[in-house]
Amino acid sequence: MRWLGFYFPQLPLDVFASDGEAVPLAVTRRDGGRDVIDRCNSLAREQGICAGMPLPGALALLPGLQARQRDRNRERQAMEALAGWAWQYSSRISFDPLLMLLEAGASLKLFGGFSALLEQMHQDQPCMDCLQHWALAPSPMAASLLARVRPGACIHDRGQLVEQLADIPLQNLTQNSRTLELMRGIGLSSIGDCLGLPRPELARRVGPELMLLLDRLLCRTPDPRPLWHPPEVFSQRLLLLSEINHASALLFPARRLVASLCGFLRGRGGVVQHLQWRFLHRDAEPTLMEQGLLRPSREVEHILELFRQSLERLELSGAVMEMELQVADWQALQEDADDLFPCGQGVQDEKFLERLRARLGSEAVRGIQVQADHRPERAWCYCEPMETAETGGRVSAGHARQPVWLLPRPQLLSLRHGRPWYEGELQLQEFSQRMESGWWDGEDVQRDYYRASTPVGRQLWIYRERRSGNWFLQGFFD
Amino acid sequence: MNAEARTGLAALLRQGVIWRGSSAGRASAAVISSGFPLLDEQTGGGWPRGALSEIFSPQGLGFSLLLPLLAELGRQQQWLTWVNPPHVPYVPALEARQVNTARVLLVKVRDTEQSLWAAEQALRSGNCSLVLLWVERVSAARIRRLQLAAEENDCMGILFRPLQQRRQASMAALRLQVTPAGGGLQVQVLKRRAGWGGKPLYLSCAG
Repeated sequence: MRWLGFYFPQLPLDVFASDGEAVPLAVTRRDGGRDVIDRCNSLAREQGICAGMPLPGALALLPGLQARQRDRNRERQAMEALAGWAWQYSSRISFDPLLMLLEAGASLKLFGGFSALLEQMHQDQPCMDCLQHWALAPSPMAASLLARVRPGACIHDRGQLVEQLADIPLQNLTQNSRTLELMRGIGLSSIGDCLGLPRPELARRVGPELMLLLDRLLCRTPDPRPLWHPPEVFSQRLLLLSEINHASALLFPARRLVASLCGFLRGRGGVVQHLQWRFLHRDAEPTLMEQGLLRPSREVEHILELFRQSLERLELSGAVMEMELQVADWQALQEDADDLFPCGQGVQDEKFLERLRARLGSEAVRGIQVQADHRPERAWCYCEPMETAETGGRVSAGHARQPVWLLPRPQLLSLRHGRPWYEGELQLQEFSQRMESGWWDGEDVQRDYYRASTPVGRQLWIYRERRSGNWFLQGFFD
Repeated sequence: MNAEARTGLAALLRQGVIWRGSSAGRASAAVISSGFPLLDEQTGGGWPRGALSEIFSPQGLGFSLLLPLLAELGRQQQWLTWVNPPHVPYVPALEARQVNTARVLLVKVRDTEQSLWAAEQALRSGNCSLVLLWVERVSAARIRRLQLAAEENDCMGILFRPLQQRRQASMAALRLQVTPAGGGLQVQVLKRRAGWGGKPLYLSCAG
């Protein structure tokens, strides 16, 4: 077995910072009843903040410091998001604090060797430089230790383990103060020192706990670990470091969520067609935004581009503090056979339609088709642009005498001197047709249609309702 | 005229820098017949391809002039995009006039800015053979953008504009004034490529 360990020392900071804006940031932890700096970003470090510093002291030194209580809950969520992404590389994933461990041995052949695998992971990592601290080792514990202490270490053989681990200080392996004290007392400081001693004597002095650790480290005993399983529903939240007022500024944090979603989808072999965005405000109801895709996808850039265009329609009800992306109904990817000429008309069409719809809304872009009905107001309906049904046989020669434009619903015409009036007195040109239809569904019509012209010469399609004698305008010929 | 001047003139003619009044009636570059012989004669062959045309008319009429063109272009596997038409297109009647309504894409938006954006996207997409746009107010600069979009992507755009705006200068390749007349349409060519329109035409093409 080969375990690939990834260490995320910045994760406690990353769960807060997300908007690219550079501000000094630190997370704190409770230590002996007071808040101390747990870790800080490079900007804060440059200004003299360091881990272990009490919070009041740090604030006195740097009043602009953004300090947040360390949020393990969010860290766990972020780790799970990373695991969702990593699921595409290995189905055996386990966690240590701020560490993710993948069993890579089984998938090395698939990806063409370890360096190819690592390169591919780096190329599509969900966020910039988050995979810097990695290590490969035969045991999960060794991978975890090396990723923290000696990033970049790559041990393929058990035989090399002892040699590589020998000079690592013991306190990196265990935090147990009694054991550490004891070892210091007898002059042992590194793992190698321990391994150099006869095993029974060492075991008698330091107890079983350290021995178990050492055995697991060196693959002498199995190290059973609970394995992670991805959830069925993708849902991820991102806390924004500073509130966002302009919809356009949401694009940057959205990239992280979308990248994470796409990793999740690749891991599960899925694609997505509907995304639900929620933008949370301080004191208003969350703003919801639905994003739809014409064709299921898991391309980060494609989804982001449509998101960007959807933003132009978005009206926020306040400043955004937190954003959430949810996908409940992702679907399994249907691998189609590729076309000989990949970027065919169909794909082009969809991209064009998606672009229009993302900005204008999907109800603004439609197709139109014939419905089998004699009543003009029911003889058509809007439809999905790509799904227009065959119209063959539904159109008769009689339709050629009907106008090209229709009013959405017939408009009652006023009468003057007993004649219908529209921008002037109408001249009836010719009788068009008599229509009697719809008696079966309660909306029966009995109409006499005429072609009429206005004084300036516009050509109208009007009818007289035979029961009431009222005149209606229904369409225009020109 | 000496020989040198004659060859110089021939070169200029070849480059298309000079046009001759006598060729005004003939078909010039890329055009699609309008389906009305009289109109083709006055516009140099019909609707210009890869260019913008404008129709100035009261209440957006003049659409029926386009029916032969729509029937022709509807045979291609590309969209006929209609941005903000004034009424509902009556599909059975269009089908009966050989317009393939399966290729019709309707875009209905609230404001002018969005309709211009949509029209430009459609012109630039390479997925549309024809883009129709009904618009109330539009600046010369936006028309220029649309004309460039049509030119660069070899797409045809036709704008329906209110009659009152016909005096505004524009980049469009063809400009027609259309008014209703005696059951048909009266068409006056305001501007065309390589020539001038003649007398107003009467076309009995209303529907």
